[in-house]
Amino acid sequence: MTAALRARGVVVALGGRRVLDDVSFEVERGEFACLCGPNGGGKTTFLKAALGLLPLSAGEIEVLGSRPGAAGSAVGYLPQAKSFNPAFPARVVDVIVANRRGSWPVRTSEAEREAARSALARVGGESLIDAGVRGLSGGELQRAYLARALVNDPALLLLDEPTAGVDARGRTEFLDLLAGMAARGDLAAVLVTHNAAAVRRLARRVVYIDGRVRAWGPPAEVLDREWDRPAFGGHDHDGPPCEDE
Amino acid sequence: MGDLLDALLAPLSQGFVRRALGAGLALGAAGSLLGVFVVQRGLGLLSDGLAHATFGGLALGLLLGAAVDRAIWIALPFTVAIALGIQHVRRRTTLGGDVATGVFFAVSFAAGILFLGLRSARAQPVNVEGLLFGSLLAVSPEALVVILAVAALVAVVLAWTGPRLAYATFDPELAALSGVPVAALEYLLLALTALVVVVGVKTVGVVLVSAFVVIPAATASLLGRTLGTIAAFAVGLSALGTAFGLFASYHLNVATGATIILTLGAMFFLALLLRRR
Repeated sequence: MTAALRARGVVVALGGRRVLDDVSFEVERGEFACLCGPNGGGKTTFLKAALGLLPLSAGEIEVLGSRPGAAGSAVGYLPQAKSFNPAFPARVVDVIVANRRGSWPVRTSEAEREAARSALARVGGESLIDAGVRGLSGGELQRAYLARALVNDPALLLLDEPTAGVDARGRTEFLDLLAGMAARGDLAAVLVTHNAAAVRRLARRVVYIDGRVRAWGPPAEVLDREWDRPAFGGHDHDGPPCEDE
Repeated sequence: MGDLLDALLAPLSQGFVRRALGAGLALGAAGSLLGVFVVQRGLGLLSDGLAHATFGGLALGLLLGAAVDRAIWIALPFTVAIALGIQHVRRRTTLGGDVATGVFFAVSFAAGILFLGLRSARAQPVNVEGLLFGSLLAVSPEALVVILAVAALVAVVLAWTGPRLAYATFDPELAALSGVPVAALEYLLLALTALVVVVGVKTVGVVLVSAFVVIPAATASLLGRTLGTIAAFAVGLSALGTAFGLFASYHLNVATGATIILTLGAMFFLALLLRRR
């Protein structure tokens, strides 16, 4: 059986700088793994490379047995920065249906609307279906985008800091939601996060990236090991690589 | 009532008015549909820049010896090339769309002035005012055919690519992940806009053509809540403004292009007031 995600010797260079250097690790099907590390350590870059949005300078990434970008709707993605055009007249239902169709829905069929409603119900956001995207709060936006990622029943979820910009209560609810998904065991996920509580609760294994893979293993081992590393004391990031709240 | 309506519609008994109405409606429909995407992308100045580039293309045609009516065949590829150049600079640099448009617009317009100056002293004089302000009532049957063909092309291409172009307009990264050819569609949008602007310059002139692209779409964006309703409003408002402006200008004996644009402008400000309430 192929892994959900397999990286071998991945190198990604941006603007002449090696953001990822010889990164190798593997996520099994049904496994929730966390990508942890300091800001600028290459976590988001890795996800974008796995999605086919950034070219590899060397190495290879297999996503559900395919090259990056080729697994299509079997991969669900929740971006960290929402880069949508705020002037665009988008409702939540449109954003979710667009991910099913691969194009913007000028009209939405009843079946598509039902699929969107069902995806929103999974994340506790049914009431958002006709809401305008630009008026959503941070937590609502994350729910809408998670529903978007889930609407095609993916085998692999790539979640980039899903609780960033969400208040404490929303963060707890969101982690409960992800924990429920992790417990099902039929969905693999790679979760980029700075939140140590999330890592401990959700991940079977943690990949600690700081340009290279510094550690890879169960959360207790990796977090403790990295937490004690004197080398991380001088990093130019806002906080510790994985922090407790 | 019937007599009043007959009197208002009497101009339609004349062929040149029917051609003007047909050209205005077709140009307005194509321009406003493209305008929905242009406005949503914050590229309102694009059509204005392309109109000025068209002036450069027409002047190049005249310099190469084409008659005024035939110079459009030089202006078409010239303006499409400028549009693709603007898009190339937008994609390959960190400069914004308006900056790229501003550079190409100024260079094209300056080149147009230079081209006109370089023409032989024996060459037929050119009515620059006609180029700048156009004349909807002077649309020839041949020009009407070109306008209708361009409008039909825009309608067919947008029917085929519109939903994917809309997705790319909402979020290019998510659209690319869904397999949408974002870059190719952006180039296509600018090329189609260039086509509409070039044929529009022949009818309402360089100065006013961008209004056909921007104003109905901007007005519709104030009124509609979904992309479908915005597109429908844009086409409807454009048709209404064109027909009203044409008949009003005929009966009042004032400039047709300017009256249409002022009508569209009045609709925009009315929509702005309605929206505030």
